[in-house]
Amino acid sequence: MESLESLFQPGQVSTRAETKAAYSRDASRIQGPCQGVVWPETVDDVVRLAQWAAETGIDLVPRGAGTGLCGGATPQNSIVVDSSCLRKIGARDVQSKMVVVDAGIPLDQFNRTLRPDGLFFPVIPGSHRSATIGGMIATNAAGLHAVRYGRMSDWVEEVVVVDGKGEVQRLSAGDRKVFAGREGITGMVLQATLRLTEIPKSRSLTLFSFEHLADMLEQVKQLKTNSALSALEYLNPHAAALVGWTARHCVLAEYHSAEGEIRDPAEMANLWGARESLSARLTQAGFPISEDPQFPPETLEDNLDWLTVQNIPVFGHLGVGILHPRFLREDARIAELYYRVSASGGQISGEHGMGLKKRQWASEALKAEVLALKRQFDPQHIFNRGKLC
Amino acid sequence: MLIDLTENPACTECGLCREVCPVFQIQRQEEYSPRGRAILGSAGIQTLVFYQCTLCRTCRVVCPVGHDPGGEIIRAGLISAGIETEANQMMIANIRQYGNPFGPLAEGELPKTLTCC
Ligand SMILES: Cc1cc2nc3c(=O)[nH]c(=O)nc-3n(C[C@H](O)[C@H](O)[C@H](O)COP(=O)(O)OP(=O)(O)OC[C@H]3O[C@@H](n4cnc5c(N)ncnc54)[C@H](O)[C@@H]3O)c2cc1C
Ligand code: SF4
Ligand code: SF4
Repeated sequence: MESLESLFQPGQVSTRAETKAAYSRDASRIQGPCQGVVWPETVDDVVRLAQWAAETGIDLVPRGAGTGLCGGATPQNSIVVDSSCLRKIGARDVQSKMVVVDAGIPLDQFNRTLRPDGLFFPVIPGSHRSATIGGMIATNAAGLHAVRYGRMSDWVEEVVVVDGKGEVQRLSAGDRKVFAGREGITGMVLQATLRLTEIPKSRSLTLFSFEHLADMLEQVKQLKTNSALSALEYLNPHAAALVGWTARHCVLAEYHSAEGEIRDPAEMANLWGARESLSARLTQAGFPISEDPQFPPETLEDNLDWLTVQNIPVFGHLGVGILHPRFLREDARIAELYYRVSASGGQISGEHGMGLKKRQWASEALKAEVLALKRQFDPQHIFNRGKLC
Repeated sequence: MLIDLTENPACTECGLCREVCPVFQIQRQEEYSPRGRAILGSAGIQTLVFYQCTLCRTCRVVCPVGHDPGGEIIRAGLISAGIETEANQMMIANIRQYGNPFGPLAEGELPKTLTCC
């Protein structure tokens, strides 16, 4: 570790016991041994670090806010590379609605700086207070407004990445397969050029609740034809009861118009607050395992019915078919869920990624893709070794 | 390895509180974030990191499960274990001896040193 410390300023490296403990896991609570943490401040810092890793054979784990839910930022005898000192926001081009940002900027902070120009970045995961742009690119995050705005890869024009060969790559949107959703296995994203959009003139909400799934899905079909729709979030009876809503199938619909029933900002904030508190509340209620399957629309009824009959709490981004069923620590039904996803033609990871948690479920096609990318960008498996598959 | 809920039952480790913490804003290191402190506390790690908390409880306001960082209780435990910063020792001694954290002060005299933890 002395050779590592000699490469940086004293405050940029820590191998203290308290640092290693605090960085031993992410929000998934999947834990692994951490050998130390580096806080790079420049692209050059990461280049030097990658060269050091190649020489020593110790792998590097890029980390944003550590809100990931599948152990992607969990070290395995690794050095964690924390982006929290990379927070510059470049001048924005209001005309073309573009901005260059450092990877470590937290989403809410970023959006606060855009507000005076009437602009915002619309990919908003439930972890928006903390999640970083780099982590969101690496996981190709979707989130609360995916039904209107899609996911990260739809909004990234260019990224600057330091790859496993210690080379600086400038990759454009056409190369998104190299970085978006690759969970840091091709290198560390340090900067991104992002597209922005205008803040809507008005917002409103309606909270629907249904006895029967079929009725709910019929309503959802109709809602999705509404061009003002900006969110379509689902809570099953189990999850709804936990936040004090009627224990039925609930749908929270947000509109970029005044047509929703709830227009009072405080009331809307309350409803969103309840929805966003669910993840942590369910962990505390004994359901710490968060899954994120994405189902095709025609298979939703059958699968939602199965989950509810199993007494599994579920919430999620119904508008794009991404659900978050929550499971007990050791729960045999997770395997059953994955079989159902596969039989339905869905994805086992709709937005959280594979990390350490789901790597044994990676398909042969994904493994082949990862191997090809590793050969090209990280032949010595320096970045996020053993993650994704 | 997935840790058991009983290892850190009060904090779900979601990380949503990081950015509101004034100390994390300066240090930018996870061990100074409310989540980091909760992890250290649950692992029984006794460290001076706990003195770098303003006890403001802003983290509790945004925490979806209302986790209280309990800085005072943790510090009381540290002091019993003899883990204390020099500044804290001096501040307590001053309060005990002079009734204020600054040390001897004449009537109307402004303090020249601000001793904090
Ligand atoms: C309460 C809660 C709600 C959530 N809601 C959503 C949601 O609605 N939608 C959603 O998609 N996700 C959601 N998540 C999951 C998580 O917040 C996202 O995956 C987020 O994008 C992770 O960002 P982060 O900065 O915390 O990344 P981290 O957790 O630090 O890292 C995630 C992965 O990205 C890699 N990585 C991080 N930074 C970089 C970088 N600069 N370069 C290369 N690789 C990097 C890491 O190695 C890791 O593999 C939620 C999580 C929580 C706790
Ligand atoms: S109480 Fe301590 S940990 Fe919580 S926000 Fe304030 S300074 Fe940070
Ligand atoms: S203190 Fe609350 S907000 Fe912070 S990590 Fe723990 S559960 Fe999440």
